[in-house]
Amino acid sequence: METVNGYQGNTPVAAPAGTTPSKQTVTAAKIVDTQSVLKRLQSELMALMMSGESGISAFPEGDNIFCWKGTIKGSKDTVFEGTEYKLSLSFPNDYPFKPPKVKFETSCFHPNVDIYGNICLDILQDKWSSAYDVRTILLSIQSLLGEPNISSPLNTQAAQLWSNQQEYRKMVEKLYKPPSATV
Amino acid sequence: MEESTLSLVSNLEILDTLSADSVQEIVGSYGSFCSATLSLLHGGDASDLFSHVQILCKHGLLSLVRDFFLKSLEEAFERNLASKFWRHFDCYSIVGANYETELQQVLCRALEEISLEKQYQEKCLLLLVRALLLEGKTDSDVEREYLFSKYQLMVSSVLMATLPRHFPELLHWYFKGRLEELSTIMDGEFNVGGDDASQDKDDMDLDEMGKMLHRNGAMDIDESCLQGKFTENNNFVKNIGKVVRDLRSLGFTSMTEDAYASAIFLLLKAKVHDLAGDDYRASVLGSINEWIKDVPLQFLHALLAYLGETTSYYSPSPGLRSPLASHPSACYPAINSPSEGLVRWHLRLEYFAYETLQDLRISKLFEIIVDYPDSSPAIEDLKQCLDYTGQHSKLVESFISALRYRLLTAGASTNDILHQYVSTIKALRTIDPAGVFLEAVGEPIKDYLRGRKDTIKCIVTMLTDGTGGNPNGSGITGDSLLEELNRDEESQENVGADDDFNTDDKQAWVNAASWVPDPVEADPLKGSRNQRKVDILGMIVGIIGSKDQLVNEYRVMLAEKLLNKSDYDIDSEIRTLELLKIHFGESSMQRCEIMLNDLIDSKRTNHNIKATIKSDQTGSEPAETGASMDILNATILSSNFWPPIQDEALNVPEPVNQLLTDYAKRFHEIKTPRKLLWKKNLGTVKLELQFEDRTMQLSVAPIHAAIIMQFQDQTSWTSSRLATVIGVPVDVLNRRINFWISKGILTESLGKDLNDHVFTLVEGIVDAGQNSGNTGSCEELLGGDEEGERSVASVEDQIRKEMTIYELNSALKEPAVKDMVFPPWIRVGGLISPKKFIMGMLTNFGSMALDRIHNTLKMFCVADPPYDKSLQQLQSFLSGLVSEEKLELRDGMYFLKK
Repeated sequence: METVNGYQGNTPVAAPAGTTPSKQTVTAAKIVDTQSVLKRLQSELMALMMSGESGISAFPEGDNIFCWKGTIKGSKDTVFEGTEYKLSLSFPNDYPFKPPKVKFETSCFHPNVDIYGNICLDILQDKWSSAYDVRTILLSIQSLLGEPNISSPLNTQAAQLWSNQQEYRKMVEKLYKPPSATV
Repeated sequence: MEESTLSLVSNLEILDTLSADSVQEIVGSYGSFCSATLSLLHGGDASDLFSHVQILCKHGLLSLVRDFFLKSLEEAFERNLASKFWRHFDCYSIVGANYETELQQVLCRALEEISLEKQYQEKCLLLLVRALLLEGKTDSDVEREYLFSKYQLMVSSVLMATLPRHFPELLHWYFKGRLEELSTIMDGEFNVGGDDASQDKDDMDLDEMGKMLHRNGAMDIDESCLQGKFTENNNFVKNIGKVVRDLRSLGFTSMTEDAYASAIFLLLKAKVHDLAGDDYRASVLGSINEWIKDVPLQFLHALLAYLGETTSYYSPSPGLRSPLASHPSACYPAINSPSEGLVRWHLRLEYFAYETLQDLRISKLFEIIVDYPDSSPAIEDLKQCLDYTGQHSKLVESFISALRYRLLTAGASTNDILHQYVSTIKALRTIDPAGVFLEAVGEPIKDYLRGRKDTIKCIVTMLTDGTGGNPNGSGITGDSLLEELNRDEESQENVGADDDFNTDDKQAWVNAASWVPDPVEADPLKGSRNQRKVDILGMIVGIIGSKDQLVNEYRVMLAEKLLNKSDYDIDSEIRTLELLKIHFGESSMQRCEIMLNDLIDSKRTNHNIKATIKSDQTGSEPAETGASMDILNATILSSNFWPPIQDEALNVPEPVNQLLTDYAKRFHEIKTPRKLLWKKNLGTVKLELQFEDRTMQLSVAPIHAAIIMQFQDQTSWTSSRLATVIGVPVDVLNRRINFWISKGILTESLGKDLNDHVFTLVEGIVDAGQNSGNTGSCEELLGGDEEGERSVASVEDQIRKEMTIYELNSALKEPAVKDMVFPPWIRVGGLISPKKFIMGMLTNFGSMALDRIHNTLKMFCVADPPYDKSLQQLQSFLSGLVSEEKLELRDGMYFLKK
């Protein structure tokens, strides 16, 4: 299996907790016309469908290509094995110059995910680059599940429990609600 | 007449001075003068003419004398000579070739006669001149010139006035006949050779031409031989010369010249047609030029010499001569230094010959180009002619109309048109290196080819079929574009060498000196000839418009070729690909390169997998099925880079299926996480059929093998049952089973149900008699199946077939498998197919209804090819996935099968 560009397995979380992406200083100078954004998202969808990556998936929701639903399976040999999490991805109009907003729809007991599903991941904030795409975002989140950044947690309880993997596994199973079959 | 009245009027004053005696004397003298004149003209004695003239002149009646004399001459000439002369030709008013010899004699006789008569009249005129001279009143030369010119004018005007309409034609026929005679004589002599030259020299008589030719005594043997031969014809030419001279003296100068000119041109034209004919394999221009010098020019030379017009033998200052005459005298082997008239004639004849040949070749250009490589001498000739005449536009017009009429019709196959186009390009490249006329000619062909569906396919076939790849024989050797690719490569190498040369000053000078301007018709916008290189491949690609289409078609054909290979030998394909890469660029050929790499990898992987079996089997018992892995060879494809592959459901016999599964398992072990997905309908099966009395060895498609294997245990099947067992639709089965029926191995009969046919195995050889030839052991390669069964979807089909790409599994039992070559294929990534999309959306949305899937696909599956199926098609596709246990259907909602 090839390695994923932009996957920073060792230091997945760099941004301090509580930082909200409010960078008004950098104005969105690049006004991209909607057509090219559409095209970009379209081709990303195509690439994602083609790649046949197991464990991650995403698809536009309804008739709006700016809002996607994503699915991540917990990797093997981690405490999240056998679980499946739903995500929502919402792309800004100047994507890919700005990162999409990604949230967990299914509640996820994880040091870097808060109770509302917000994720703390550097590539979704200040380390964003237009070279990333939906696939790499999903892969990064998938690997974040197994390798959290304990030093700057959103969920301190989870961060403290992380050291005890067996207890953590029990907690995951207890809190895990498998996604309903219907949307 | 007017003049005489004038003189009469001016002498009116004298009348007064005249006495009655003198009047009497004048009247008497005039009467006698008149009778004397008439008698003289009729051949009688006229001794008293002088005295009468004297008396009349004394009285100042000189003009009266002159006028009367001339008038009498005219009357006599008109009444006797002219009418007699024309009477000779009365019976030839309908000119035919059969008169020719007779005509010749008649003409000679008539001319001789009239010349004699004319000479007599001239003598009479001379007498008058002398009489006037005696009087001493006039200057003799002036008087004579005046009278003779008057007379000459009178003669020609009388003859012209009474000219019968067919006379010019008669002259033409006369000269034609004579020239033909001369030509045959010359031809004959050339063949015989001139041993008797010296003898001829002795025979040479006294006429001027003989002398003239003798002057060049220092000529070498060949030339003197030539002269000798020609002098043999001296009498012959002298005869003609005499006729010409006589005609000229009668005032027919221009008519005569017209006549022999047209005769010469006619002869020349006939000669050109004769020499050129319909044989394009030899250059004829040289021999035509030779002939011009040998026959008509020699003739004209002799003629002009006889008539005394070869004046400039020893031109004192060659620099002052006409530029026309400044040709090197080497052009005229038998003529030392040609007169200007002769040079003009030479140029005229040459131009005429070139034009004739050019017209002849242009009218046959289509045929010439059809046998192009063989007909290149004719093309070379045509080029020279066109260089001389400059009538390129004639060529373009005529050739285009020939193309329209003969090539660009529904009946011509695309292959033929393309071959002709390539030949045209090659041929016209010779004539016109700048490609200006080629553009004009090529345009209609291009336009036409663009309208044809199979153009691209034919071009690619031409590109890839190197040596004798065309079994139909339609491929003419030397026509292959592959060769052109090779040539291009060579020329590219040479370009580098050229550059080095150019640094050399000498070479630069040579290049500059050999510069030729573009043809006038060249479009200045298109750059000069240096930039314009006639590039056959470029022009062929130009038909299609873009190389992408070409590359795509090539990919499809390459895929087909590779999939049909039972060994991994792809040397020739690699070579072709390398050549194409040079031309089309590496990036556009990348996918094809990956396809070839797949083949190379497959060979290795195949080997590795077999090696694992060997090491496994050393301990355990050998394969119990009897079908060992040795008989299986797989081709493993990276499906992303291959064109979409035709997929057909097929149940292969169980042992084979096991073998495939085992192979796939081993592959997975070696190449984790990759998995093999078999394309069981592709590939080749070599099998041996054993009957009671014979065995057959065949190479067939997997489906054929699957069908025939069913007959091992059960000799009779209905079509519907057989179709179910094999896992194909009934219509497909009926189509495919024809293969075995045509081989006489199965027979078809109607079953109880009308739509259900019964197929029965023919055990004995008896029934196969009608298909004799296939009996006994025979090896047959299954080429292209009926109705073009292709393993790779053609470009047009690709969009349609997109839906049906999914994998299959089933089981069958297998009879006598001898050897099996299965290059099924494996999808490493998978295609952009609706299936992927459906799985993708169901993963994220859990469950979806049919119309929602349909709408979502319509919205997002827009890439190449876009989703364009109907709801029903989608439904049947989804039920396929359900039956494959990929999906589940509950309450109208589709779920992923967990």
